[in-house]
Amino acid sequence: MSVTIATVNYTREDQRRDQVPYGSPVYNSIMGFLIHEARLLDHRDIKAWGELLAEDLEYKAPVRITRRVQQFDQEFGTMGHFDDDYNSMQVRITRLITTTNAWSEDPASRVRRFVSNATVWETDVPDEYEVSSYLLLTRNRAEADNYKQLSAERNDRLRMTKSGFKLARRSILLDQVVLGMPNFAIFL
Amino acid sequence: MRLQARQDYLKEAMSQFIDLENREVSVAALHDQELYELELERIFAKAWLMIGHETEIPDVGDYVVRLMGEDQVIVARAADGQVHVSLNVCPHRAMHVCLADSGNARVHKCIYHGWAFRPDGSFIGAPIEKEQMHGNIRTKAQLGLKKARVQLYGGLVFATWNHDGPSLDEWFGDMKFYYDMLFCRTDKGLEVLGPPQRLTIDANWKTAGEQSACDGFHTLTLHGSVIDIGAMGGEANTEHESAPAMYGINLSGNGHSLRCIAADTSWALAHGKGDLTPDQRLEAFPPPGITPELLPEVRRNMSAEQLHVLAKAPPVVGGMFPNMNILFIYSPLRDGTLGAALVLHSIMPKGPNHFEWTTYYFAEKGTPEHIKVMMRAAATHGTGTSGIIEQDDSDTWPHMTESAKGVIGRTETLKYQAILGENRPADWPDKAKVYEGFGKDDAQWEWWLAYHKLMTANA
Repeated sequence: MSVTIATVNYTREDQRRDQVPYGSPVYNSIMGFLIHEARLLDHRDIKAWGELLAEDLEYKAPVRITRRVQQFDQEFGTMGHFDDDYNSMQVRITRLITTTNAWSEDPASRVRRFVSNATVWETDVPDEYEVSSYLLLTRNRAEADNYKQLSAERNDRLRMTKSGFKLARRSILLDQVVLGMPNFAIFL
Repeated sequence: MRLQARQDYLKEAMSQFIDLENREVSVAALHDQELYELELERIFAKAWLMIGHETEIPDVGDYVVRLMGEDQVIVARAADGQVHVSLNVCPHRAMHVCLADSGNARVHKCIYHGWAFRPDGSFIGAPIEKEQMHGNIRTKAQLGLKKARVQLYGGLVFATWNHDGPSLDEWFGDMKFYYDMLFCRTDKGLEVLGPPQRLTIDANWKTAGEQSACDGFHTLTLHGSVIDIGAMGGEANTEHESAPAMYGINLSGNGHSLRCIAADTSWALAHGKGDLTPDQRLEAFPPPGITPELLPEVRRNMSAEQLHVLAKAPPVVGGMFPNMNILFIYSPLRDGTLGAALVLHSIMPKGPNHFEWTTYYFAEKGTPEHIKVMMRAAATHGTGTSGIIEQDDSDTWPHMTESAKGVIGRTETLKYQAILGENRPADWPDKAKVYEGFGKDDAQWEWWLAYHKLMTANA
């Protein structure tokens, strides 16, 4: 099954070193970053969010597969719902903010990103952290009286730079095998 | 509904839903429970459906679970090395036999009472053999999982419940000549680049189904943003400048369809090479997904007529009736070169107002690994869940379905009245219906005619 099952471990546990204590200054500043970027996206300041991306970005949301528990470590596929780098993310952002006909988000969805359960680890690289967080996202569109919802675990690599934290890697591990929303015209 | 009542309904419904004379389809057909039940029986239980690719299950025992209409099936490679498709319903008490999406199993054992089946669907037995818990009315040979008829084509797994219907070749008809240019062009063939994306869209399956049959026109408006950011565009000072990818050759047969479009009419990266001979064009723009090292194989595997088509305007988008959408398109890769995205969607109904949109990405097996990785990224960027092209489509189909819920809205019609008419160029093969020029409604109307034919065929 090597063609279809990812050999990459999207949680990158091998790169985690000492855990950064909850409530410490570093932990708080990283939690602040996660809240800040969620707020930018929820308020459609996509340009400012794009400026938080590092130029070596890897941004992926692998396809999930229902497996027997014996293959629990083979839940994610080589294909994804996102499979992006810095340039391809900038193309997405350019399309959303510079054109007047990106119809999948015009009129825009009303989205809230609830970020919680963050754990932070130091890495072998000074000023870089592995960050795992939960995402609960609600998306309301047009006159729908209900929400499209999504929950996921995100495993990020954050890098402290002179201009603040940058997102260098995000692996979005979705809880849905069959997505309930018709597209990802939004960022996670 | 009783059978006779259904048949009466159908007779009435087809004449009300489809106006053959004026080429209109009632919007009501997009939201109708009775019609939907009949579609499951008459289309999804009769048609050849694409449900995967053999490279997903390379080893004996490998399986994936897929949908045929609303029926789950197990697609498995059995001990004979062949691909078998069996209904994922235990003949004992209707429990799903396979509970995972994919895996490897030499024996599929139902977790309810333990009835066990081989990957080819045949019944092995129930626990406590001496008690013969399957009774003595039916033999073991009669108690296997219900088997679908299977045919591989270019590695794609096609299956149907219509055991006495047309062969897959007959089903394709003349279109096979063109499909071969996509699926049977290299020595080793295609492979999947991973397990498919799956998502549910709140729309009737026919909204995406009819669009797959060569609706090129929507590109200019619905996908205008992709043109505006400069990713897609026709050569300056030509008719393609304001209408990229609009002029080409549309093909149709048995409801199947393809659009053949020259690279320089649609992609900025391909501009400035208009004066080449056909042979030079083939070298300059190998068909989407063909790297220079694979081109000699294509030349060897394709006929002179097929090579002419590939050089002039290769097939790039289209569909297979009833529910498959093909995009074998040129696409810029990460390294700045013009590469390709090879994409197939299946559109599986889940009630009149929902369908599952399944997206597969492919590459030729002979493609260098680093290019496969870039092709996968390009396909994900342009198509499927987050594709900057297709995210606009998946937002449109639900609106069409919503329109059908209003008692006035459902009296409107879908109109297919912009017609080119068959006009095969002299140098084009005499295969299928051929429409050259600005892509119009011809092939999409043929899709509805195929739908009408299947829905009204004698049961």
